[in-house]
Amino acid sequence: MDMDEVLKVFIAESQELLQQMEEALLMLEHAPGDSDTINAIFRAAHTIKGSAGLFGLDAIVAFTHIAESVLDRVRSGELRFDAELTALFLQVRDHLGELVRLVDEGIDLSSLPAEVQPLHTQLGDCLSRYLPSTDSQSQLRATERIERGHEHGLSADHWHISLRFGPDTLRNGMDPLGLFRYLNTFGRIVSLVPVLDRMPAAAEMDPETCYLGFEVAFYSDADKATIDGAFEFVREDSLIRILPPHSKSDQYLELIRALPEEDMRLGEILMRCGTLTATELQEVLHTQVQSQQRAETRPIGQVLMEESLVQPPVIAAALQKQQQIKDNRNNENNLIRVDASKLDRLIDLVGELIIAGAGAQMTAQRCGHSEMQEATEVLSRLVEEVRDSALPLRMVQIGATFNRFQRVVRDVSREISKDIALSISGGETELDKTVVERITDPLTHLVRNAMDHGIEPADKRMANAKPAQGRVWLNAFHDAGSIVIEVGDDGGGLDPQRILAKARERGMLNEGQQLAEKDVFNLIFEPGFSTAEQVSNLSGRGVGMDVVKRNITALRGTIDLDSKLGQGTTVRIRLPLTLAIIDGFLVNVGQASYVIPLELVEECIELNSDEPFERGHLELRGQMLPVVRLRELFEDDSPRPRRESVVVVHQAGLRAGLVVDQLLGEFQTVIKPLSKVFSACPGLGGFTILGDGTVALILDIPSLLGQLTRVSEAPQRARIEA
Amino acid sequence: MNEAALETEKSTQQYLTFVLSGENYAVDSLSVREILEYTRFTPVPRMPATVRGAINLRGSVVPVIDLQARFGGSRTELNKRTCIIILDVPDEDRQQSLGVLVDAVSAVREIDPEEIQPAPAFGSHLRSEFITGVVRMGERFITLLALDQVLDLEALGKSANSEGS
Repeated sequence: MDMDEVLKVFIAESQELLQQMEEALLMLEHAPGDSDTINAIFRAAHTIKGSAGLFGLDAIVAFTHIAESVLDRVRSGELRFDAELTALFLQVRDHLGELVRLVDEGIDLSSLPAEVQPLHTQLGDCLSRYLPSTDSQSQLRATERIERGHEHGLSADHWHISLRFGPDTLRNGMDPLGLFRYLNTFGRIVSLVPVLDRMPAAAEMDPETCYLGFEVAFYSDADKATIDGAFEFVREDSLIRILPPHSKSDQYLELIRALPEEDMRLGEILMRCGTLTATELQEVLHTQVQSQQRAETRPIGQVLMEESLVQPPVIAAALQKQQQIKDNRNNENNLIRVDASKLDRLIDLVGELIIAGAGAQMTAQRCGHSEMQEATEVLSRLVEEVRDSALPLRMVQIGATFNRFQRVVRDVSREISKDIALSISGGETELDKTVVERITDPLTHLVRNAMDHGIEPADKRMANAKPAQGRVWLNAFHDAGSIVIEVGDDGGGLDPQRILAKARERGMLNEGQQLAEKDVFNLIFEPGFSTAEQVSNLSGRGVGMDVVKRNITALRGTIDLDSKLGQGTTVRIRLPLTLAIIDGFLVNVGQASYVIPLELVEECIELNSDEPFERGHLELRGQMLPVVRLRELFEDDSPRPRRESVVVVHQAGLRAGLVVDQLLGEFQTVIKPLSKVFSACPGLGGFTILGDGTVALILDIPSLLGQLTRVSEAPQRARIEA
Repeated sequence: MNEAALETEKSTQQYLTFVLSGENYAVDSLSVREILEYTRFTPVPRMPATVRGAINLRGSVVPVIDLQARFGGSRTELNKRTCIIILDVPDEDRQQSLGVLVDAVSAVREIDPEEIQPAPAFGSHLRSEFITGVVRMGERFITLLALDQVLDLEALGKSANSEGS
């Protein structure tokens, strides 16, 4: 594992931790003083500091250290998280995020870039104000030292750290040098003696294996937990012993016993470190001989057990913390971090497998070999299972994306001085990672719009008998093979008359043209349309809603809007669950094959040629169903067969029938991305490759439905210039 | 390779020449990915004349462009010698493959840049931005095509927009 890769992990983890920190901080605004939340913030800061130290990112370490100290005072009850401190910490979080971003860009942080330096210093100063002055700090340390002195320990006034690194330390991306560098950020290494007993002959040495051990004399005012924290990432497979200053002789004895090297030699090393004087060493070894005589040779397990029982009180706190970290780590152990491109590759291969499988099945059917057919049946069932388990790998919950908006709403509501609360539901709804990534920008725009234009000022709300606090909500749920995301507000709603007036003014509508209310609302998604009378720096520049719509359309999604004047607006985005593979329904028209997404097919009926449908409608069980011949729609001039079928499709409350020649049945379909050349083709959702290698078209049912229903409702619909 | 050979390598460039309704054209051979004997492509409905359909090229779907229609003529008639030349054109930060229909592929020719004459300002049946130059080969002229203009994805998509509705 090379360093770059580890650094990437550090960056990804830090970003995650900062995200958690932000969520926790926002939670504190509602529940100040919740100790779990405060601990979460502290842990995040602590871990970032620890990992940054490993990479020698001193700027981050020093900055986080101050923040951590302030958090420590909050934990001990000396400070409270009031609004001011929360706001400061949100800034601290953003600044850390910026520093991490700089690291990601490969900028050397040893001298901070000019654009972040002022903020860096300013935030540091603000934080320091929450810390007791240095006088009281040294006082605090002095009392501590007196307490330690009470234990009649040996003369050494520094910590003694024994390190035996595990063989995999280097392979895990840890660098002993980095650790020492980190130690030096809060203390001073007095002396350092390498222990090279495990080093094999040069010929047998594996350069990636770590054979090193160190005895370190370390002078620091830090507490045990801090020093212990430095070794958090190597603890698992390394042997680490930390003795506080002035430890008692039997503690040294225990140390000597616990380490793998010979006692005498180790004693000498300790002497060389300056931890023990010659007399002290003799005394220690003497005790050892005595105790050995008393108990003969004790099995090593017993020694270790005793050792774990006899923990000095200093360690108890650290131990508790260690346990906490271990619990966290156990949870994380169930998760594997995988490069997204590897997953994409897997999904691509599964796609190819599906095509190949369909080809095999088709060939088997043509041969009429029954055993062969059975075998391909089994195969295709397995392929289906592989697909079903591969696809969820890319699925992520939308909750994390939603939670990010807590911050947006908080910041924006301050900026525009409106009191607005965000409520989130359906965060556990899953969708494709690519979709999630590309939905964030449009959502941000919609949320800002809702806050800026949707929610009225408080006095106006009061006058309309609404609660003064505005409400914006995000909701997600699954519906017929798509995911629906709603952005709603309880604001003023849209005024259809104003939109119509504006559209006429902009020449987007013909004189006397009538539109259904829904179509009026959808006008705001047209380019160059904005009803905001004053342009704020948030939204209302006249660009935006059309960009939102374009982004959604690019994801094969649709967007529409519901609004009630005076009651609020809900924007509904409907997106496919995945961009890669769907269950399709294969139909035939003339020479061409078309695929309809299966979940949109409601039923198939035979078209009775005796009752030709008039004016694009068919009566189905007493209801009028708009119907179109795909042959006519696609200008296919091949002769019509004697028997035709109707596929009834539905989505978002719209239904229509498509007349086709032949129904070829279900078919697993890999969606091939649509080249830009075809992007303007109406009704085309993508391509797929059939088992025999020919290309088939996937129908874009939502857009077809839109066309059909609109055509049947308002045949004189004006073309709005794109 | 001796230095003289290197010299010629530098100064001349390889072009693939082909015939389309009696005219000779050439494209930079570096853009050519492969040449397919005419295979059945899937027509895509409601597309303008310039876009004929799509083919399956080892698992990826490649659009088939009708060059003659793109040059403002009628659609290319398909015959036994019809070929599809697969060309790579840049699409933002990636390469996009496109197939173009031609009547026949002639040869790969070395062309010295000094032989290339500027495109005639008028008198050509082609829009001037489609042409990088003209080369005389015996009795005939070969038109060198500016692929970035001829196969501009935005424009191909746009023409779909204006002609398709």
